[in-house]
Amino acid sequence: MWDTIIINPMTNTLLWIYDALGHGPHMFGLAIILFTILIKLITWPLNASQVKGAQAMQELQNDKDWQEIQKKYAKDKEKLAQEQMRVYKEKGINPFASCLPTLIQFPIIIGLYQSITHALSVTPFDMLKLARAIYAFQNVEGIIPLNSKFLWMDLGRPESIQVLGFALPTLAIIVALTTYIQSKLTMPTSTNPNDQSAQMTNMMSIYMPLMLGWFALNFASGIAVYFIISNLLGVAQYAATGRANWSNLLPGGNKNKKSSTKK
Amino acid sequence: MNTKRLILISLIALGALVLSACSGQVSNNWHGLAADAERAYISSGSFVYAVNLKTGKEVWRYPAAADSKLMFYATPVLTADGQLLIGSAGAKHPFPLVSLDPVTGKEKWVESFTKAKGAWLASPLVLNDNIYAPNTDGFLYTLDMNGKEAADPIELGGALWAAPSTDGVSLYITSLDHQFHIINIASGAVADPIDLGGAAPSSPAVGSDGVYVGSFASTVEFVEPNGRHEVIATAKNWIWGSPVVDSETLYYADLDGKVYSLDLATGSQNWDVVQPDGPIVASLLVVGDQLYAATEAGTLVALDREGKTVWEKTVGAKIYTTPVVAGDLILVAPYQAEFALAAYDTQGKQAWTFIPAK
Repeated sequence: MWDTIIINPMTNTLLWIYDALGHGPHMFGLAIILFTILIKLITWPLNASQVKGAQAMQELQNDKDWQEIQKKYAKDKEKLAQEQMRVYKEKGINPFASCLPTLIQFPIIIGLYQSITHALSVTPFDMLKLARAIYAFQNVEGIIPLNSKFLWMDLGRPESIQVLGFALPTLAIIVALTTYIQSKLTMPTSTNPNDQSAQMTNMMSIYMPLMLGWFALNFASGIAVYFIISNLLGVAQYAATGRANWSNLLPGGNKNKKSSTKK
Repeated sequence: MNTKRLILISLIALGALVLSACSGQVSNNWHGLAADAERAYISSGSFVYAVNLKTGKEVWRYPAAADSKLMFYATPVLTADGQLLIGSAGAKHPFPLVSLDPVTGKEKWVESFTKAKGAWLASPLVLNDNIYAPNTDGFLYTLDMNGKEAADPIELGGALWAAPSTDGVSLYITSLDHQFHIINIASGAVADPIDLGGAAPSSPAVGSDGVYVGSFASTVEFVEPNGRHEVIATAKNWIWGSPVVDSETLYYADLDGKVYSLDLATGSQNWDVVQPDGPIVASLLVVGDQLYAATEAGTLVALDREGKTVWEKTVGAKIYTTPVVAGDLILVAPYQAEFALAAYDTQGKQAWTFIPAK
């Protein structure tokens, strides 16, 4: 079921792009990049809705009414929940607007990840499975096996560059860096010291780069290419809304902005 | 640590677990199988097992304890000087090529190629005290019998999944990028590659005047030592296993599950297509007057020379590994079955099954 609905269509789209590009050296890397762009375009409304939802929730944290009810009903959780729902309703905020798109995208990310590894079949059994997943209209004999070379990488293997005898995991570093930049740019400022949402976002901006960097370090570099392009597109999309918080990239940038906001 | 941080870390760990579970890094594959007069040798993921042919009991396993970074899928190769060669396709870098004592399973040498960048899915070929080891990085490595590099690696391009074949003068090897290569053994010279029109994951079959190679182009190509080549037969679907030459007859099978018998003298098919019960990935096996086909549906079929079914046995799991003959036994290694190996006599009676101890 999962294969039929998610993996096979994604794999076939990826392979179709690869074939259209001429299925030569470096083309699978290019196909991953184009496929990532395609996925980003399809999920653009979801991402936009997530950004909007997160922004609304963030603004709510700085709202005086909101802060008041937090203090007032701090010891009455049930009443607090009721009041919070009332405020959500009054202000037309859907508290799940920021996380629902993420949840919907999660299967897409997993599917994409599986499609890339599926397409880069590394054993005969993987290739047999891939052959059966390819739709009849594809030029299957011509495109199998995929040419996994892309720039200096083999997209089917973890990447590293030998520097002074050490294997430097370049892509893993770039993945961690771009993930960090993306999360920092999209992190809204908060003047509320008790803003739990901001605390969570802060933690995410530390743990996510580490996690994705770890994936890039250990898994096929094709996945790392996806993460990098996805992060860069995420930054571009956020910047296009005019809300990118560039000052967050500087050390203490967020604090400076907070203090200046307080004045 | 506050609750929210704990939840966040748990969610990230869960995400990591899900993606790790989906990873194609440590992949799966069917077994490799070989045998001598006393033992069968089966490469089965984490272990290589030696199995007593009389009893079906384990003689030894290598390594003694599972190493998550070692994975064995290639067909083990026995050498005349008493070695069993097998390469790893696991995550251990550099990928080790191992020589074992076939009697005891003890390591004779482990060559961790610093040059080889890929997994070992193909078996090496041993000829004139040289080991020719094809790697998925697209290079053919030449070692001496002690595992030391004997010549510069030969770059062939695409991933090498199949052992080379030889007529004693040249090596014939397929690469997955649709190419067929002829390498002069004495000089190491590589002739211009031949485009097969599709990937060829198995070894060529050596005949009297040249070699025969099947491919995903659903054709059998005949290649002469001088590089002249022509398509001599077709199939309805991909040809995965190696063709088999038996005197003036060439047997081959395809993923539609069809078995073909080609008269090499006339170029015509000997029989109307014989189709057992499922796709055939494994190479066919000729023993005496019988031809054995193992299907993905899990059936071992014995055919006579006319293509008539002599007997068939349901093995109980998918079969991708080429059956092997050992004395009067036919050995079958099903994929992801309760047992790793089953032995049948030539009448189709099961002699034993081998279930690896936990």
